Amino acid sequence: MNIFISGGCKNGKSYYAQHLAKKQALDNAPLYYIATMEPADEEDQARILRHQQERDGWGFTTLEKSSAIGDLHADFSGSFLLDSVTALLSNEMFRKDGTVDRTAHLRIAEELEQLADQSGNIVFVSDYIYSDAMKYEELTELYRKGLAWIDRALARKCDAVIEVSYGNIQLLKGDILR
Amino acid sequence: MHLIFGGAYQGKLDYAKERYQLGEEDIFFCSAGETGEGCPSGPQIDLNKKAVARLEDFVLCCVRSGVEAADYLEERREEWSNTIFLCTDISAGIVPFEKELRAWREMVGRTLTYLGKEAKEVTRVFCGLPQKIK
Repeated sequence: MNIFISGGCKNGKSYYAQHLAKKQALDNAPLYYIATMEPADEEDQARILRHQQERDGWGFTTLEKSSAIGDLHADFSGSFLLDSVTALLSNEMFRKDGTVDRTAHLRIAEELEQLADQSGNIVFVSDYIYSDAMKYEELTELYRKGLAWIDRALARKCDAVIEVSYGNIQLLKGDILR
Repeated sequence: MHLIFGGAYQGKLDYAKERYQLGEEDIFFCSAGETGEGCPSGPQIDLNKKAVARLEDFVLCCVRSGVEAADYLEERREEWSNTIFLCTDISAGIVPFEKELRAWREMVGRTLTYLGKEAKEVTRVFCGLPQKIK
């Protein structure tokens, strides 16, 4: 099943997503974790280390893919977890050379929809960053709008859509076995 | 009255357009005025339209004009008994540093609480999907 998960920061999305991906993995088929974060500083390194430790013992094979997600080499009979859509967009939109790709969200949405078709067994994790009382500058709004574009495309595409609020699971679409 | 809320860019307007078969001519888009210039025209809503969108901008104009949005609406309550209100939920982020935005955030909360109580139906839109609240 293709599953889309979103919710606020530090609400338990990643843990729940790992649990679902593991449950979807068949015997003798691989369980993949698609790592999307490009560490920018020590804080990111620490975050990555913490996530790696949390995944220890779950049986995940990590695939490092911080951009060009359409070009993923894996055994598509496996179960996949992609955490997170948010990092993927930020890597592709705000490029290392300082330029901004204003249409990155269109490409990423298409690539992720294809990935859902290819695997049929993927859990996407995104972040719900849309309820701030702020008038942001243009680039931040462009990013929020782009991420919402991808989120909505994935919510349409996936069989199940879940919001995690502080460890509580709200099913907005589809059916999953808890 | 139907209150539709949700975070920014979640598809509130698309949902309302599809559900009620609305054209652009059926929708009033609220305006907030400019930062630093206040909202010279004062708070305005055309309640003859079927739907009122960007209610959060109407509320920001109220903040800039020293008007309580819920009072403005209460005075005109007969005019919106069948209106569809769309508002961005701005309640779940960081408390803004700027005083005006803090006042805005709180007034939107009060206004939606008032409208939520009066509404026949309340819907939250999450990533394009409607969630029935009331």
